[in-house]
Amino acid sequence: MSTNATQMLVSATMEFLRRHSPFDRMEGDALRFLAERLKLAYYHKDAAILTPDMGAARTFYIIQRGKVVARQAGEVNVTEYNVMTLGPGECFPIGAVTAQRASTNGYTAIEDVFCYQLAADDFFELMRMSSVFNLFCTQYIASLLNQSRQQLQVQFAQRAAEQQSLNTPLSLLAKREPVSVQPETPLRQVLEAMGQQRLGSMIVTDAEGKPVGIFTQSDVLHRVVLAGVALEEPIGKVMSKDPHTLQDTVYAYDAALAMAMHGIRHVLVVDGEGRLKGVISERDLFTLQRVGLRQIRQSVETAPDLETLLQTSHDVRQLALNMLAQGVGAEQVTQFISALNDTITRRVLELNLDKHDLYGVDWAWLSFGSEGREEQTFSTDQDNGIIYLCPDFMDKEQLKMRLLDFARDVNDDLDKCGFPLCSGNIMAGNPDLCLTLEEWEEKFTNWVRHPHPAALLNATIFFDFRTLYGNPSLGERLRKWMLSLTTSNPGFLKMMAHNALDVEPPLGKIRDFVTDLDPEHPGTIDLKKYGARLFVDIARIYALAAGIHNSNTVQRLRHSAKRLGISGEEMAAIIDSFNFIQLLRLRHQHLETEAGQAGDNRIHPDKLNELDRRILKESFRQVRKLQSRIKMDYQV
Amino acid sequence: MSWLARFFRSKKPEVVLSPEQRERLERWQQLPDPDLNHSHFQTRYVVVDVESSGLNMVKDRLISIGAVAVVNGLIDTQDAFEVILKQEVVSDTANILLHGIGGSAQREGMEPADALLLFLEYIGKCPLVAYHAMFDHSMIARAMEKYLGIEFEQQWLDLAWIMPELFQDRIDTNVALDAWLNLFGIENIQRHNAVSDCYATAKLLQVAMARAAERGAECPERMMEIERVRRWLRRSN
Repeated sequence: MSTNATQMLVSATMEFLRRHSPFDRMEGDALRFLAERLKLAYYHKDAAILTPDMGAARTFYIIQRGKVVARQAGEVNVTEYNVMTLGPGECFPIGAVTAQRASTNGYTAIEDVFCYQLAADDFFELMRMSSVFNLFCTQYIASLLNQSRQQLQVQFAQRAAEQQSLNTPLSLLAKREPVSVQPETPLRQVLEAMGQQRLGSMIVTDAEGKPVGIFTQSDVLHRVVLAGVALEEPIGKVMSKDPHTLQDTVYAYDAALAMAMHGIRHVLVVDGEGRLKGVISERDLFTLQRVGLRQIRQSVETAPDLETLLQTSHDVRQLALNMLAQGVGAEQVTQFISALNDTITRRVLELNLDKHDLYGVDWAWLSFGSEGREEQTFSTDQDNGIIYLCPDFMDKEQLKMRLLDFARDVNDDLDKCGFPLCSGNIMAGNPDLCLTLEEWEEKFTNWVRHPHPAALLNATIFFDFRTLYGNPSLGERLRKWMLSLTTSNPGFLKMMAHNALDVEPPLGKIRDFVTDLDPEHPGTIDLKKYGARLFVDIARIYALAAGIHNSNTVQRLRHSAKRLGISGEEMAAIIDSFNFIQLLRLRHQHLETEAGQAGDNRIHPDKLNELDRRILKESFRQVRKLQSRIKMDYQV
Repeated sequence: MSWLARFFRSKKPEVVLSPEQRERLERWQQLPDPDLNHSHFQTRYVVVDVESSGLNMVKDRLISIGAVAVVNGLIDTQDAFEVILKQEVVSDTANILLHGIGGSAQREGMEPADALLLFLEYIGKCPLVAYHAMFDHSMIARAMEKYLGIEFEQQWLDLAWIMPELFQDRIDTNVALDAWLNLFGIENIQRHNAVSDCYATAKLLQVAMARAAERGAECPERMMEIERVRRWLRRSN
């Protein structure tokens, strides 16, 4: 209205802004632009300035006077603060305005507050005008990314610490319902029960439930078989009397001590009245401690039976959790899970080789899919096959039968060890996947030469193969064959590219994310289907095009970068994005399977905290970038 | 017209306005009165402060008017006003030192009738706010009568009365503006500059609006009631 009056007030505003970062460094015209558009509001003490339920943030605030407290809303804290106080010159909510979404923090005046307001449109204009302001906002968001990672570690460390603590009372550890018999029970009945329920030991209690003895597997040999005791005799005659008991109020530490001192493997947990509450084994305590890679490897490699292996696969999960807790990245964790799963698989193979004689046969065990790429998360089913050579002097049908028998046993045993059978029957026990080198070559050739939809789908699974056991040169020969096919068939790669572009990252035009792609699970995003897979598919195409031998997505991307002329930094951002999505999957699966649900890949973006949502959004943007790149390269 | 009116009128010279000025005045007069029962946060308040040649409401002259609007609860610096009325006689040095409007600025000010019309057009029929409104009102009303020949009857809110009523727990008496500004840590950019004083007073109004709304006085009408009650109580005590 009156220019003089306005000029005076605008100058005063500019003077105020110049006293605070980043406005002190801001370009003159940008500062004036800002000062001219600010409106001043007042909030009394305890007034809510901005809350998450106010919807998408349309206003950017700069505090002129007074203090504002920012509190994280929701149960997940990921920024390094729960509560943060903001003073004059500080602004909020940078992330929410930038992303045009509701703030996840609640902002409340804790004294009388005068606050400048800037409309979102002017905010964006300012970001365009001022490189200083732009940098300020981007750096702020980038710093949140770091905070998120650190916080993630803290979160996992806490969880790991809870699980590992030797300060856990035995009452919490002895979860399993103890199996017990009374002293007059005949031995035969006891042994049958132990066999059926796979018990290492049986506890003997009196009529009141107080333990009076224990009978273990190793007692069978010495006290029953060698001593020639009839199976009709009562258990009370052969049991070890007065077993070691501990009250359930003592700690895991005491149990460990008792075991060490008395050289025993089991401690019976009793309540205040001396009644049996449970059994703690050495293994229960072992998992409490930081499970080391070497220990696990060693225990896998020497595991005498499946039961031990099954236990070890639990340890793998625990160790992976520890690694997450220690801040190890998704790439290393998934590779590590794969490595240990490899070790378990190898041991299963070895145990089965004892039963199946494959001496003199040139063969190898292949793994496909995520296992082949060394990108296994916690919930992974089996994807495997066999490759072999059939010398002229052998009967091929007979050899194949032998291999199939062996493979089926391995498949079943792997299932028992926590690798569920593949619903798509991608398993070595499937005659179609137990093939000679020539047959595999023919199969691959067919898929490349005739890329119909099923062939392309197969390529996405089988072209990511890895030799896990047996003669590695068979796998290498197959790989050379495969790469010679793909590098000379751009038409096939173009079809692959077409397929890879079928699915777009679920970035919304209005909302942050598209969450209604799966009508059965509204509000969720399948991070495998709409996240990780997008990266994997493109990495595969570039690897197959350039003849890169790796099957791992990150390595494929790294090796492709140079050939594609993508700068190291740019590629690092893409790889970071892929790893972040993998990390979210790991975390999601871990948190869910612990709660007893099946581990899946469907996350609720609304349940993520602000930071993770923002990083996830950025990750999807990165894959979109990658997609437009391949679109350009293959003209699809 | 009664003889009494004729008597008074005869005492004052007839105000002569150009047709254009008359038209502008009529246009303002025809504006509808504001609905004072809307929320504070849907109301445009205009905070007004005047500078004059002295504190005598009858003798001293109006030198400048400053105004800052509080629209829907927000102060928008784009919605601010200042005008200097052209003075035939420049105020004395002590007075100039107070408000900083120098002799030449006073002489080069706007023709009073135009300045006042501009002010009317700026405020519209919005409720006006001042600290010690009586003084601002008198100075403006006298100038309106002299230069535009109208009786200026706009509604005023006086924060000098409203603030102690709303914040009895803090200051329960009529005090100078600075006491309230200090209490709420409101900085005055340039004391005794009409616009700067308005800006500070506008912030005080924001504080008052928030407190009044908290107490159920959610519209200008209720706010005026608070003032009336306070005045009546103080007078009867």
